[in-house]
Amino acid sequence: MTGPVAAGPPAGGPLPDRAAPPLARDASWHRLHPLSPLVRAGRQMMSLLVVLIGIAVLNQHQDGNLVADLVVIVAALVGGFVSWLVTRWQIADGVLRIDTGLLRRDSRRFPLSQVQAVDVVQTGLARLLGLAELQLRIAGGDSARGGRLACLKLADAEQLRKQLLALAAVPAGGVPAPATVPDPDGQAASAPAARTAVRTMFRVRAIRLPVAILLTRSGAIGLVVAIAIWLTAQFDGSAGVIAPFLPVALGVAARLWRQFNGEYGTTVALAQDGIRLRSGLVQTTAETIRPGRIQAVRLVEPLIWRALHWCRLEVDVAGARQRNEDRAEGQRLRALIPVGSRAEADLLIAELLGSPPLPSQPPPVRVRWKAPLSYHFLSWNGDDQYVVAARGRGGRPSPAIPLAKAHTIRWGDGPHPRRLSLATVHLDVAGKRVGVKVEDRDSAEALQILRVLPDLARAARSRAR
Amino acid sequence: MIDPSGPASLRREESGPGEPEVSWLRPSPLLLRARRIELVGVAVPVALIGGLAGQVVSAAAGIAIAAAVVVAALLAERLLARRVASWGYAERHDDLLVRRGVLIRRLSVIPYGRMQFIDVTAGPIERSLGLATLRMHTAAAASDARIPGLESGAAATLRDQLAALGEAQAAGL
Repeated sequence: MTGPVAAGPPAGGPLPDRAAPPLARDASWHRLHPLSPLVRAGRQMMSLLVVLIGIAVLNQHQDGNLVADLVVIVAALVGGFVSWLVTRWQIADGVLRIDTGLLRRDSRRFPLSQVQAVDVVQTGLARLLGLAELQLRIAGGDSARGGRLACLKLADAEQLRKQLLALAAVPAGGVPAPATVPDPDGQAASAPAARTAVRTMFRVRAIRLPVAILLTRSGAIGLVVAIAIWLTAQFDGSAGVIAPFLPVALGVAARLWRQFNGEYGTTVALAQDGIRLRSGLVQTTAETIRPGRIQAVRLVEPLIWRALHWCRLEVDVAGARQRNEDRAEGQRLRALIPVGSRAEADLLIAELLGSPPLPSQPPPVRVRWKAPLSYHFLSWNGDDQYVVAARGRGGRPSPAIPLAKAHTIRWGDGPHPRRLSLATVHLDVAGKRVGVKVEDRDSAEALQILRVLPDLARAARSRAR
Repeated sequence: MIDPSGPASLRREESGPGEPEVSWLRPSPLLLRARRIELVGVAVPVALIGGLAGQVVSAAAGIAIAAAVVVAALLAERLLARRVASWGYAERHDDLLVRRGVLIRRLSVIPYGRMQFIDVTAGPIERSLGLATLRMHTAAAASDARIPGLESGAAATLRDQLAALGEAQAAGL
């Protein structure tokens, strides 16, 4: 730490000139947007307000309570304001630095060359105010402590995203090239023709998405719950019987809604600085994944979708997505194609990974004795760049990982597989969301895989470097 | 480069998967003693508590429970030697091999360049015997690679060696 961080708000820290977007090269300190405490408090604030206003309206005649409630609100607002006051950020020497904290100063540095992806997230409230949150995804950083700037003006955030990606593409210590061409590409989605470099690869169909979500497992659960509630209400006229169902129903509904909200209008485009992904109904996310930062791609075909020839294509990037929601949500993979035809998925896979092999090598027939249900779906394949494996459980997920991203390679067997002379080989990539499991191969084949893969992976790594 | 044909090692079923040309290094023989102490530390209290609880029903039940625990511990002890003997590691040119397990056998290949950091830990029992456990962490959460029962000096040496190799071959994510 070299900067003047001991004092609270910087004495000479100039606020960014609102007319000109913040420039990456000037290394001056910037503040977040003054309205950001409101947006950051966001959902909690809103619910708090609703509750407090409700209480205040009900207890109109008891002034003491009202004053106490007001104190709570004002305290929350003042806290947010102070936090805004002491937060500032700077870009210098290819490092984004964010200083925050009043009592315990917290200065964090994010080397831009390690950035995996940059997200521009707008919650509903932020959209109303024209603000956006910028999130950096850094490998290994757990979600709570990743780099986030909340909030900036939307145009500034877009501009900054572009600058960060341009700086990230420069190797550490190199001279930043004048990469940010002054182009009018503020919103790539609204002006796709403005840049020929941005190629839209996929756009989810608006009607297909809700149908598809309802046809998955959680959708089916939701349907069952709804029918159960309806039937109970039919037989027993009183509304009270529904009460026990309510928590379950709300949970399922929230889950379905979150998925729909998150994946609505997913658009995938390829640009110079990476893959651009936009989606969202109320809360929109515009994500840019840097080229070569894809850890894994996974094709999923839930049971019912197979009849309709639909599939889902997910992508894994190191570093968790930062959301204020629960952890399970952060563990879910981002959908490149929430629902689409196999042809669309194949097209996108070809664009992202070149030509990964198809999982076409079935396991030996005796695997039927070990895995009678999933035997038909187990298969794998690999070449000198990718390893693909399909499995039988539920959605028939078939992940593909580039060998250059493989971390450890593990071989394993157990008493039962050993009797059948079978073994399994795992390939792990960064994070804990996805890995390839080449399941139940003949022992000789598994050993063969185990011998060849480390060398192939090393060759792939040195090629990627 | 590894020879693709593998019958040489396949015939040695009891030694698990491995390369014919790889020489496996083993943890210290003191590891078995550490594991035995741990086993006694678990079995004796369990036998005592189980025996006392059985006394509530009848004296015979209490003795039976305690005896069952002791027999189970003795059986586990027989397995212990094989489990300890199954641990092995080998340093290859570009990666480290670690193998373990009797019932479920595992072998991990950890490229030096993928190691994010390396830990040396020692519990009280291990420490009293002068042993330590080496843990290798990669960015993948699933890769749990450790070598228990190294002599603490050897563990520190190996750690420094692996760290140096990791630095030399470090690969980006």
